Amino acid sequence: MVVDAAATVGIDIPVYCYHQALGPLGACRICLVEIEKMPKLMTACTTAATDGMVVHTQSQAAEKGRRGILEFLLINHPLDCPICDKGGECFLQDYVFQYGAGQARFEEAKIQRHKEYPVSPYILVDQERCVLCQRCVRFMGEYVGEEELLMDGRGVHTVITNVPGIPLTSPFSGNVIDLCPVGALLSEPYHYRARPWNIEREDTYCSQCPVGCSSSVTGRDGQVVRLEGRPTPGQWGWLCDHGRFTYDFGAHPTRLTEARLDGEPVTVGRAAQVLGQRLAAVVREHGPDAVAVLTGGSHTVEDHYALRRFADEVLGGSRAGLVKPVEADLPLALLGTFAELDQSDTVLLLGTDPYESAPVVHLALRENVRRRGLVVKALGDRHLLRDTLAGEEWVVEPGGMAAALAAATAGVSEHPDARLAAEGLAPADESLVRLGQALMEPGALTVLWDGREQDLAPALVALARARGEHPTRVLPTFGPRNWLAAARVGIPTDYETSRRILMDAADGRIQVLLLWGADPVRDFPDGDLAARALERCPEVYFGGVFPPDGAELLAGVLPTAAWAEEAGTYVNMEGRLQTGRGAASAPGQARPTRNILQAVARAYGTPLRKLDEWDPYEGTVDDRLVLPPLEGSVRPVSPPPAAESGFRLISGLEVALTHDPSEVAARTKEDRPARMHPADLADLGLLTGSGPVELSSGDRSFRVGVRGDPRIPRGRVFVPRGLRGVPINRLGGIAVAVRAVEEVASR
Amino acid sequence: MLEALKGIASGMKTTLSMLKEPRDTYPYPEKRRELAPRYRGKHMLAVDEDGHELCVGCGLCEAVCPAHAIRVVAAGAEGDRTVSWTERYAVDYEVDLIRCIFCGMCEEACPTNAVRLTPFNELAAYDRRDMIAKKDELLAPPVRR
Ligand code: SF4
Ligand code: SF4
Ligand code: SF4
Ligand code: SF4
Ligand code: FES
Repeated sequence: MVVDAAATVGIDIPVYCYHQALGPLGACRICLVEIEKMPKLMTACTTAATDGMVVHTQSQAAEKGRRGILEFLLINHPLDCPICDKGGECFLQDYVFQYGAGQARFEEAKIQRHKEYPVSPYILVDQERCVLCQRCVRFMGEYVGEEELLMDGRGVHTVITNVPGIPLTSPFSGNVIDLCPVGALLSEPYHYRARPWNIEREDTYCSQCPVGCSSSVTGRDGQVVRLEGRPTPGQWGWLCDHGRFTYDFGAHPTRLTEARLDGEPVTVGRAAQVLGQRLAAVVREHGPDAVAVLTGGSHTVEDHYALRRFADEVLGGSRAGLVKPVEADLPLALLGTFAELDQSDTVLLLGTDPYESAPVVHLALRENVRRRGLVVKALGDRHLLRDTLAGEEWVVEPGGMAAALAAATAGVSEHPDARLAAEGLAPADESLVRLGQALMEPGALTVLWDGREQDLAPALVALARARGEHPTRVLPTFGPRNWLAAARVGIPTDYETSRRILMDAADGRIQVLLLWGADPVRDFPDGDLAARALERCPEVYFGGVFPPDGAELLAGVLPTAAWAEEAGTYVNMEGRLQTGRGAASAPGQARPTRNILQAVARAYGTPLRKLDEWDPYEGTVDDRLVLPPLEGSVRPVSPPPAAESGFRLISGLEVALTHDPSEVAARTKEDRPARMHPADLADLGLLTGSGPVELSSGDRSFRVGVRGDPRIPRGRVFVPRGLRGVPINRLGGIAVAVRAVEEVASR
Repeated sequence: MLEALKGIASGMKTTLSMLKEPRDTYPYPEKRRELAPRYRGKHMLAVDEDGHELCVGCGLCEAVCPAHAIRVVAAGAEGDRTVSWTERYAVDYEVDLIRCIFCGMCEEACPTNAVRLTPFNELAAYDRRDMIAKKDELLAPPVRR
């Protein structure tokens, strides 16, 4: 299009309705330009640029055209810029200033409409300010596929509105705030909060899930007050609402702001000093193996680097590991990128529904399906496809994904590794052969995997080898958000290392356990082991932003600075390093990890040298981690667990529920996190389609709110992992008894 | 000797002759100078007949102020209790009178004619913190006696 062509040479043509991701529409006509040999002014956003075309963007005729359009737009515009949140960052203001007439000629009364009324807990609509560009309607309806905003009425009476009485619920609705060129769609939490000239707006990356969407953070008076999407090459700048509205987590009441030592509040300096001295004493007496460090993968790369050097150089070679909520290890050689996803011919959702676990990737998939017919396949223990993402899916028994994938590969491929992985498994039936055929199609394959089922790792390696020179890439949708930072600095990220550390702690072989942002009791797949480790280990120290489960067992707590409070580098799910800057200040005594560790190291007697001279990007290629080659042998996948009667527990990851505690995002937080088939709920007597249930297995039980979801197969209960107060990692088996319980007056 | 006395006398002549002339200074604070009505002194925030503040907290005065002397924090009215004549108002409005250069740009930028510079120029305090005029203070503009 002419607009894009002009943009590549740095010429700005005004646009309202045009957006590259949404395609041309030609509704607003602000982009009028004069094109030689064309009789009239043309809209630059709907005219394809061709060879030899001569376009005048600043000619008198073009400017007159724009002035006319702007005059029309202002006829019924309220011009209440002083109270409009977009004032100062509004494209109507900008274009009128640049191209508009100085004086209005329209003297009649303006049409009045609804002003600043909520269409969702996050979004306000001001119909008077709308320029009817339809970006919002097209984004929600066509791009996201959830038609929640509509145009109503005709002619000058056209307005933007939600479906009457039904608020917007899409997790992508917040993007319309960024898309709206004027002050018609506003962020409720940001309403009247600040102006572009009294804020600090810094480039950053969303910290709530491993997608790491590029965004800008707005800080005012030391507090984060907004997060906006920020387009970068290759990314449109979409955010999901879970990330967009969790920006305030640093100011949450449960945030750690003071240091504690043996239950008493102390200064951070004092806590660091005592910790250093105690560590020195322990290492002198028991050696470095008596200390271990576990990271939770939420701190920055720089912090992880300091942590690793602290373990290596100060403690003299103590073990370090990563606590992640899943038991499987991704063969890093297979790590894919979003660019590769955009080139893939087939995508396989493996146990993960990206809409829940990596929301903005769902949008990328949908765009690829719509734009170039990407083929979507899904293999899981529940239905993973949805109305907005069609494809073909295979639903297998809980715990049976690895066996199904291995059998499907072996059913089609003769490759020895495929054979080996499927050794001892029942041969693929007709439907699995179909899956195998789909996966063995030539062209590029991208797998989205949420890291459940340890045996999927060998099954994926076998698939990749069987596919030979056709690229096979895996994008891990599991958190923690920055776990690849550990891989960047050489902290082992495998499940086994952290399990060993916790086992040793539980057996009393570890004297001091240092948890850095790690919450093993809540996140580690074997929650019992983690709880035993915390109980038996004589001294457990925690550095982080939110207190972990079992905080009463901690010997000391060190509050660290959070995202947006300091500059730092994060590694997203493609292994890409992204450096965000800070726009707020850390509250209370919270300090950057590096400063705290340095203070501990000094008290220990071994200060860390040249900590700040390390460059996280050194040795990376295209800002990405250098991946190891794919090597090692494939082990046979174990057969799926035998079917049992009764309900079976399945799990997954859901950003909507596991994001950081936030008062803003709490507005839409689901308080019934578990899901079951509506018919099962009815059988349990929960006729309203939701309610509290008790899940039990052996002598363990817990209560959780459950709601109906037809995408969960019958006989299964879906409970997300890593939720506070929902200890599914301590339930033992996957066979559970489910019982409806009386609603207890809660809170 | 005589020369010296002559010198003193001629010097004193000017001094003594000036005693009869009208005064250019004022015996402040007993008597104060009459200032032009548009003299730019301390700020005030205006209120309309119904008692609603004119300021809507748009922050334009803050943006335009060359000395960065103004700070505005806006908020929405809660329920029906509007503070200004519309939904939005300034919860916090501060002018740092030490920084302010009394250029009047804020007055000029204000879309609602809320902030105005009054002829009040008696600006002195023992503590520099007292020189930051808060909103309450600006809403009750002092008058020169
Ligand atoms: S949309 Fe733009 S022009 Fe309209 S009131 Fe808001 S800031 Fe002013
Ligand atoms: S609300 Fe905004 S994005 Fe939607 S049509 Fe109106 S101006 Fe365009
Ligand atoms: S998809 Fe993930 S990274 Fe992107 S906005 Fe949502 S939570 Fe943040
Ligand atoms: S005094 Fe005027 S310019 Fe300043 S914030 Fe209030 S309304 Fe805006
Ligand atoms: S941007 Fe071209 S018609 Fe709207």
